[in-house]
Amino acid sequence: MASSVLYPPTQRSPAGALALSQQAPAILRSSPSTVSSSPLNALLSGSEKSEMWLQYENLILSCLRTGDDQAAHQCLKRLVARFGTDNERVQALMGLVKEAEANNNGELEDVLKGYGEILSENDTNVPIAKRRIALLRSMGRLADAASALVQFLDFSPTDPEAWSELSDIYLSQGLYPQAIYAIEEVLVLAPNAWNVCNPTIPRNLSPMLMHLSQIHARLGELQYMAATAPGVANGSSQKYLAEAIKRFSRSIELCDDYLRGYYGLLLVSKKLLNDGAKATKQPEDSEFALPDTSTIERLNELATAKLSEIARHSASHDRGWRGYSEAEVAAARELLAVGESAVKR
Amino acid sequence: MAQVPVQTIHRDPQLFYWILFPITIVMILTGVLRHYATVLMASDPKRVDQKTMREQRALLHGINVRGNHHVLSQSSFVTRRDALIAAYESGAYLKDPENRGQPPPNPMSDPNAMEGMMGMMKNQMATIIPNTLIMSWVNAFFSGYVIMKLPFPLTIKFKSMLQAGVATKDMDPRWMSSISWYFLCIFGLQSVFNFLLGSDNAANQMSQQMTQMGPQAGQMFGPGVDPNKQFLAEAENLAVVEHHSVLDGVEQRLLEGIKV
Repeated sequence: MASSVLYPPTQRSPAGALALSQQAPAILRSSPSTVSSSPLNALLSGSEKSEMWLQYENLILSCLRTGDDQAAHQCLKRLVARFGTDNERVQALMGLVKEAEANNNGELEDVLKGYGEILSENDTNVPIAKRRIALLRSMGRLADAASALVQFLDFSPTDPEAWSELSDIYLSQGLYPQAIYAIEEVLVLAPNAWNVCNPTIPRNLSPMLMHLSQIHARLGELQYMAATAPGVANGSSQKYLAEAIKRFSRSIELCDDYLRGYYGLLLVSKKLLNDGAKATKQPEDSEFALPDTSTIERLNELATAKLSEIARHSASHDRGWRGYSEAEVAAARELLAVGESAVKR
Repeated sequence: MAQVPVQTIHRDPQLFYWILFPITIVMILTGVLRHYATVLMASDPKRVDQKTMREQRALLHGINVRGNHHVLSQSSFVTRRDALIAAYESGAYLKDPENRGQPPPNPMSDPNAMEGMMGMMKNQMATIIPNTLIMSWVNAFFSGYVIMKLPFPLTIKFKSMLQAGVATKDMDPRWMSSISWYFLCIFGLQSVFNFLLGSDNAANQMSQQMTQMGPQAGQMFGPGVDPNKQFLAEAENLAVVEHHSVLDGVEQRLLEGIKV
């Protein structure tokens, strides 16, 4: 129970966040409100744990999400009492609480101005810089957010979180090649993440959206979207599809029974098989040749079988098959149903 | 063969209370004190300005690309490599491009570097001073006699360690003198400090020495290292990477590996 408080809450479902923020009063009551830093007390009461502060941080996020501002303020007060207002992470959290309480655009502008002031004093304040970008984005100023992110990544190009956010922004603007480039950077920095949101690296955990998840599959999805986007030349569309199918395969290779991977694999292979008739000749210089038709068929079969297995097991709530998100399983079922009806026809 | 008679030495039982316990308690207290002294003396990690950060992270970025090149496809790797090499060789990421090619400044004259050295000096002092004091205290008051007998047999090699200060050739190595107890305390109190102060304490000098001997991660960007040379070396490393991709033949691997 308590351990779930230790994970960054960005991946949590709304129900999970609600449940967590309902625990907040109990957690606040059970831990001491102030931690004395005097040596004598530390000897008597045992040393403070870093988990506790992480817990407070995550509680703030969940509570803000569910509208429990009071509990969020209490957590924040304790963090401030311990770390002071100069701490970069605390500053970001304070800004976050202010953002959440802002009622109109004017107040948000004030918060933004505050961030600008902090950054003008110390331009390497990473949490605040990220907060500012996230705020720009949530205020709908996408272009500003993107250019601020690019600026941020210029002096800190080893930040996977920022790259993935940049990819997301580009994607929402329909700039597929840029989005793919950014997500490839994430992959370079976190090479083996298939769907891992690593909870042991809270160093960079800022309140900005953090999805280190699904990198390979995500890249595959991006390639697929890029391929199916209108106005893409046939040749480059095939290039994207060929890489998409490889990316999805890789994501399954890294994580067995990965639903998103199989879903994407099925989607891409189906599209390739449907388009198979009008497949043009591959340009010679393309590095990833499309696999031949029999391989695609086998991949298609494999994905269909696996997806229906997953759907069947999670429908009957079998042991060992839990943990799939309801929505994803439903989507998989829909895709399978479409395939079946096509076969019947 | 005749049994070797067990050596017995009649000691005042008070030795136990007036030497063993005082030494132990003093050692523990100094450890705790040293921990808090280190915490108090620790200087804040110094703030890195944006240009330095850019320089360091740009280099790290290149290292990452080189290390994880296999997740990229050939074309995306080549674009990255070419861009990085060009930027590295032109010195685009350098903190102060006009200093390029000049010998690095003397680390002694750099105030930042001096600060780091002062920190190390402080730590060294916090180790050396109390050790010297306690050792001379033990030597002055409690040297020259044995204080206890270990409850287990030992070989003759331990004599020099356990009976330091007692020059008696034939004495069983199980007898130990006060200075030996002091040494045992130095090496053996780590778990006590862990219990009292938490696991990342600065009480025990042994752990400090370990970290000093270990590889220094901070050395990469330390004073006296010419970043331009690092960039050039990294550009060369990138240029010779022989690229292969995990995506090569991944469908075949998948089809072979997973059976429905």
